[in-house]
Amino acid sequence: MAVDTMRSFGPAGPDPDISMGQKLMELERRARLIHALQVAVVWVVLFMILGLALMLLNFDPRYVRDHFGFVLQGLWVTIQLALISITLATILALLGALGRLSTSPIAQGVSGFYISLFRGTPLLIQIYLIYLGLPQIGRQFQDLGMQQLGQLFTLNAFQSGVLALSLNYGAYMTEIFRAGIQSISYGQREAASAIGMNRMQIMRRVILPQAVRIIIPDIGNQFIAMQKDTALVSVMGIWELTFRANRLARQESKFMEMFVTAALLYWILTVVSSWLESRLERRLAEAYER
Amino acid sequence: MNDKHIIHVEDLHKWFGLLHVIRGVSFSVVPREVVVVIGRSGSGKSTLLRCLNFLESPSSGVISVAGHEVTTGPGLKPDGKKIIDLRLSTGMVFQEFNLFPHMTSIQNVIEGLITVKGVKKDAAIPIGEKYLDKVGLLEKRDVHPIRLSGGQKQRVAIARALAMEPQVMLFDEPTSALDPELIGEVLDVMKQLAYEGTTMMVVSHEMGFARDVSDRIIFFDEGLIVEDGPPEQIFNNPHDERTRLFLEPLRKAQHL
Repeated sequence: MAVDTMRSFGPAGPDPDISMGQKLMELERRARLIHALQVAVVWVVLFMILGLALMLLNFDPRYVRDHFGFVLQGLWVTIQLALISITLATILALLGALGRLSTSPIAQGVSGFYISLFRGTPLLIQIYLIYLGLPQIGRQFQDLGMQQLGQLFTLNAFQSGVLALSLNYGAYMTEIFRAGIQSISYGQREAASAIGMNRMQIMRRVILPQAVRIIIPDIGNQFIAMQKDTALVSVMGIWELTFRANRLARQESKFMEMFVTAALLYWILTVVSSWLESRLERRLAEAYER
Repeated sequence: MNDKHIIHVEDLHKWFGLLHVIRGVSFSVVPREVVVVIGRSGSGKSTLLRCLNFLESPSSGVISVAGHEVTTGPGLKPDGKKIIDLRLSTGMVFQEFNLFPHMTSIQNVIEGLITVKGVKKDAAIPIGEKYLDKVGLLEKRDVHPIRLSGGQKQRVAIARALAMEPQVMLFDEPTSALDPELIGEVLDVMKQLAYEGTTMMVVSHEMGFARDVSDRIIFFDEGLIVEDGPPEQIFNNPHDERTRLFLEPLRKAQHL
């Protein structure tokens, strides 16, 4: 059965006043362009002021040039740390959110405790506890003759860093996931229930795909914040960006040179990441555009 | 229950906190019957419909659809498997359509077949296309809901429910969220289903549809069935004063 719908109304031929509309659009386009240019000029000026300040600091560009490669090698470690940690944190956050929203008292209790503990304590202390504290537990197991189990508690610096960053960010991101899941209208859940889906199917097929789109900007934001918090793992002697910069800075007291270099590299990294994130966001929005 | 009945409800109660919205309702529906439930907003008629597939858990009573019977009561935890069976015997159409916005029309329609019934995608697509064609929207197959008009959304939602091939279709005010000029296309689809012998239970304010298409009208008020009878009787010779008072202004407004 075909149902006839949607007759289009409106003028049949071209509107005689169309040139007016075109002119208005052109004016609007020009205004936007001018505004964008003005913003760009402000950026350029601020860059120049920053450069000037660096010159006044008696900045030694040769030292930067000579050691740039050495610092840059740390960038890859930083990226690895951040990528692995954000992936694990996302998984933890999803589990945490499902736990908080579950009807099981155990799941609710566990996730609530996890969030409270890792949001309530400094990341730096979590790093120390995992890197230096856990091996103490491990040694006691080893004293009891449980070598394998004891080994499990002794993580290297990289593993400790990943674990601390994942647990810490996972706790923050749990709230992001929870809010995203709860923002999906109840009608979606009902419609999915009505066709016979169970809770798992509803979550996987209906709620999460919609929630993820909503929280992508927030996850991107957390990813950017994490990239810079990876600097904290330098305390364990991981040869990442900050550690390398720090080491060279101390060698010849070229603090500004090395830390500005490291800072710039972090900055570039976050600019690239937020560009990638906005592309992803646009792609996910496609289904929702008219 | 009688074997003839496809829906059978016995002594249904629903409490929201201390609000007693359904106060002991019993009724039956036979196959191919079209029942329209009318009543004031807040009378509990939507809740009644939503109890049939457990979108609302009844506080007590027995619900049976297509041979799947669930008994509820205080402290009684209904079996999840049985609830799924009830939901698979019923198709539901909502006032707000509730299409999945991240899926195209065809994906909406075949989602239940694939996820719930385990039909392979290749086999599900022709079924989905058949039902999209039935509601006149095969051409909108690959369009996301945001690009559909309200009437088109509701027709896709009807196709989504039909694709699961339920024994009973439930409509919860299917035209109440639509602009007046889009109501007709949805009612046309519903009429067609009625003529084809689909068992339907419809909560609606569309008195024209109720009069012309239904076999039976239930007037629901304050959580109880006040009157239950063929449309001619309800419209022309209501036994209860409340029915008459409810219908009078509506008939004037809708020129019936």
